[in-house]
Amino acid sequence: MTTNIDRRSFLANAAGALAGAVLLPRAAKSQGAPASPVALSRCTSYGAEVLPALRKMFDQIGGIGSLVKGKTVAIKANMTGDPDIRAGFIPIERMTFTHPDVLGATVHLLSLAGASRIRILESPWKSAEPLEEYMILAGWEPNDFIRASTGAKVEFENTNFLGRGKQYHRFTVPKGGHLFPAYDLNHSYYDCDVFVSIGKMKEHATAGITLAIKNCFGNIPCTIYGDGAPQDEPGLVPRGGRNPIHAGNRQPPKSSPPEKDPASPRDAGYRIPRCIADIVAMRPVDLAIIDGIESMNNGENSGRPENYVKPHLLVAGRNVVCVDAVGAAAMGFDPMADRGHAPFERADSTLRLAEELGVGTRDLKRIEVAGAKIREVAFDFRMSRPNADGTPGGWPDRGAGQRGGRAPGQSAPGRGQGRG
Amino acid sequence: MADTVLVPFRWPAAWTDAKLISLFEGSPINCLVASGASPAVVGAAGKAGLTVLEWGSLDAAPLAKVNWNTAAPRIMLTDLVWPRVKLAAPGAGQAQSGPTGAPWIDSNSWVARLAAARASGKQVWLDFEPPKGEAPPDEGAYRVAIADAAATGARWVVQLDDQLSKALPSGNADALKTWRGILATLAFFEKQSAWRAYVHQGPLAIVSTFAGDNEYMGTELLNLAARNKMVYRIIDRSRVLSADLTGLRGVLWVDNDPPAAGIVARLAAFARGGGLLIVPATAAPLFKGERVLDCPVAGYELRAFGKGTVAAATREWDDPYFLALDAHNLVSRRYDPIRVFNGSSCWIHYSVAPDGKDSLIQLVGFTGGRSFRGGSGRLVDDVAIRIPARHRSVTVYTLDAAPVPLEPVTVDKQVEYHLPGFSNYIALEVKV
Repeated sequence: MTTNIDRRSFLANAAGALAGAVLLPRAAKSQGAPASPVALSRCTSYGAEVLPALRKMFDQIGGIGSLVKGKTVAIKANMTGDPDIRAGFIPIERMTFTHPDVLGATVHLLSLAGASRIRILESPWKSAEPLEEYMILAGWEPNDFIRASTGAKVEFENTNFLGRGKQYHRFTVPKGGHLFPAYDLNHSYYDCDVFVSIGKMKEHATAGITLAIKNCFGNIPCTIYGDGAPQDEPGLVPRGGRNPIHAGNRQPPKSSPPEKDPASPRDAGYRIPRCIADIVAMRPVDLAIIDGIESMNNGENSGRPENYVKPHLLVAGRNVVCVDAVGAAAMGFDPMADRGHAPFERADSTLRLAEELGVGTRDLKRIEVAGAKIREVAFDFRMSRPNADGTPGGWPDRGAGQRGGRAPGQSAPGRGQGRG
Repeated sequence: MADTVLVPFRWPAAWTDAKLISLFEGSPINCLVASGASPAVVGAAGKAGLTVLEWGSLDAAPLAKVNWNTAAPRIMLTDLVWPRVKLAAPGAGQAQSGPTGAPWIDSNSWVARLAAARASGKQVWLDFEPPKGEAPPDEGAYRVAIADAAATGARWVVQLDDQLSKALPSGNADALKTWRGILATLAFFEKQSAWRAYVHQGPLAIVSTFAGDNEYMGTELLNLAARNKMVYRIIDRSRVLSADLTGLRGVLWVDNDPPAAGIVARLAAFARGGGLLIVPATAAPLFKGERVLDCPVAGYELRAFGKGTVAAATREWDDPYFLALDAHNLVSRRYDPIRVFNGSSCWIHYSVAPDGKDSLIQLVGFTGGRSFRGGSGRLVDDVAIRIPARHRSVTVYTLDAAPVPLEPVTVDKQVEYHLPGFSNYIALEVKV
C-alpha cells in the first residue's frame, strides 16, 4: 500500500514533472492515448464564485463555443444515493452530489456559448422517478436550471430506463471492451452532439475515487443492468440496483449483449472499473468537469462515516482521463497508481483501464495543466481522513499545508452504510 | 363521563387484586377494558372514578369486518401490528429493508386514519399486544406504540407485556419506571387533546373502497405512500360526493371498477377546475381529455382536461409501491407541505387545524428504544424540515421536555428547521 509519505513525495515529484510538461506542445508527442489540456482552479465556495471560475477554466481549455454552438448538449450529473439523506445537517450536494451551483453555472455557460438544447441526465439510484422530482427531493428547484439558460432549451431525463425514448441505443466499446462488448443505454446518450460529465471529487469504497469517469457508471440503466431486470427484455422500470455489475450475479436480459467472459472475477474491484472504462470509451465524454469545492472523504459506501471536506477545487477539460488524472493528483493520489496502491487498494485503476481503451492518458507528464498548479492547491484526501475516534487527520503536521476540511474537534456526522 | 375523553387500558386477566387500581391514581388512564374482571376490581375501579368496559361489548373487529354503521361511540380495531422497525427475524437485531432501502416499519397509523375517514366523528381505538416470544418491549417501545396511534388521533388500548404485568404488582423498580413512562406519554397526548381535531391533509386524495377486490391495492397504497413520506387525504369511495376537495392538487382513483356517473361528474369537475385526476386504465374512457401532454412519469397518458389534467394509466397497476411513487411524482413533490431530510426511520404525520390555518407536523421515531438493533436510548438526530408555506412561528414538542420555540436556520439560501435529537416522538406546531 502506498504510504502517506509516498503521496507527499509524489506531489513534489509531480510538480517537477509538470514544470517540464508545460513546456511540451499541446499535442501529445508520444504515441498512445490522447492528451488534452486540463484547467485546475481554486474555488473557495459555492455561489457567486463558481460561474467566473468555470468561465475562466473553459477559456483556459480553448473555449467551448466551437464545441457546443447550435448543438444538443447532454450533461450527466452525479446524484448517487438517497437525496433526502444527509450526513448530519449538511446538504447532500455539499458532500456527494454535483452541487446545483456547478450544474447551473455549466448550463449558463453552455447556453451562452450557443448550445441549442441542454439535457440534464442522471440515473438516480434505482428509480424511474422524473429527474426533476429527484432534485426536489434533494431540496433543489429544477426550474433554477431552466432559468440559468440564456436561450437553450433545458430538459431533464432519468436515464435509468427507456424514459422518453422509443428504444435503447446500443453502444459498442472500442477494442472489444473490458467487461462487455457493448451496452444498451437510454436514447439521451445517443441523441446528443456533446456529452458532458460533471463528477464529484470524492473517495469511493469500490472504485477508490469518484471523478468524471466514475460518474458515468450511472449511464447504464437499471432496467437492463439492475437486479430485478427481466430475463428476456429490459424492464419497464428499475426493480433494483446495479448489483449485477458489482457482483456479476447475473447477466442482463437476453436482448442485450452478455459480458465477455462470465468466468472472469466476480469481484467488484475488478468489474466496476472495467465497466466504467467501457462506458467512457463507447460514449466519449466531450467535456469533463469535477466539482471538488466541497466533498467527502473516508469512502462513499465504505461503511465508515463519511467525512465532510472542503478541497476548494474545480477541474475541467476536454479529455475525461486527463481531467481525472489531474483530479486524482489534486486529491493527493498518483494517477499512475494501480491496484494495491492508493486510492486503488481494492480495485483496478479505472484511469489505466480507460487509457488502455484509448480514451486518454493519465500520465501527468503529457497533460498540460492550466490555471492553478497541482502542488499549490492539492488537498490530500487521505491525510484529512478522520481517525477512528472521529478526530481529524492522522498526520502530526496536518494543517501545515492543508486547507479546508473540518476544524479539529469537529468530527463529521456519519451517514453510514446502505446508500446506493 | 363523556366518551371522547376515555383513555383505555387493557386490564390483565391475571390481575385479581383490586388494590392494583391504585396504579392509576393521578394517571390519564380512566377506562379499564376487562374480560370478566372480578366484582372487587370493578367496584374498586368505580370508586376510583374509572370506567370499566367489558371487552366483549366493544364489537372489536379487524378492519375488513368492522361494522361502520355501529351506534357505538367508537370503533375498536383488532389484528394490528406492534409498531416498530421490522426485524429480519425475532431477536435478530437486524432491520428488514423496505422497497426504498430504508428500514421497514410496521405501523398502524394508516389503518387508524382509514378508520377515522370511514367513521367520522367516532373515536378509534386500537387493540394490539406486545410481541410474544422475544425480549419484552422497553419504555421506548411502549412510547412508540402510544405515539403511533395518538399521532393519528386514535388511542391504543394499552396492553402490558407478560413480564411487565407480572413485575408491576410486586413494585419492581424497573417495571414502575416503565409504567411511569407509559403514563407520562399518555398524559402528553391527552394534554394536547386539541391536536385530535386536526385534519390530516396533503396535496393528494386517495379514493377507494379499500375493501373486497380493492383492499390489497388500496390499503397497501396507504401504507407505502406514507412510508414514501407522502402526505395525503383518505376519501372512502362512499363519501366522494360529499367530500371536501378544496386545496387538493390531485385525486387518485385507485379502484379498477370505474366510478358511477355521479362520481364521474364530481371528479371531472375537479379536473376541469384545475386539478389532476389519476385513474387506472379501466376508468380512462370516462375521462377523455383534450390534447396529449408530455408526461414525466412512465406508464401514464397525460391529457389536458379543462384547466386541469387527467393521467390515465396505460398499464395495469400491480404494485402499490410503484403506484404510490407514480402518484407522488404526478402530483409533484413540489407541492408537499413539508420536506424532511434524514427522516427515513420516522413515520411523518401532517395535519391542519380545523380553521385551516395552523398545522402540526408529527414524527414518530421508530429507532428509539430496544425496538431497533438493540439500541436502547438511541436518538433520532439530524432531522431537518423545510416548511414552504408562510408561517409565523414553530414550537417543538417532545415527550420529555416543555415545548420550546424552534428557530429557523438558513442552509444554501433555504430556510429550514433542525430538529433536536429525539428518541420516539417529536411534534412541530406551526403557527401562521
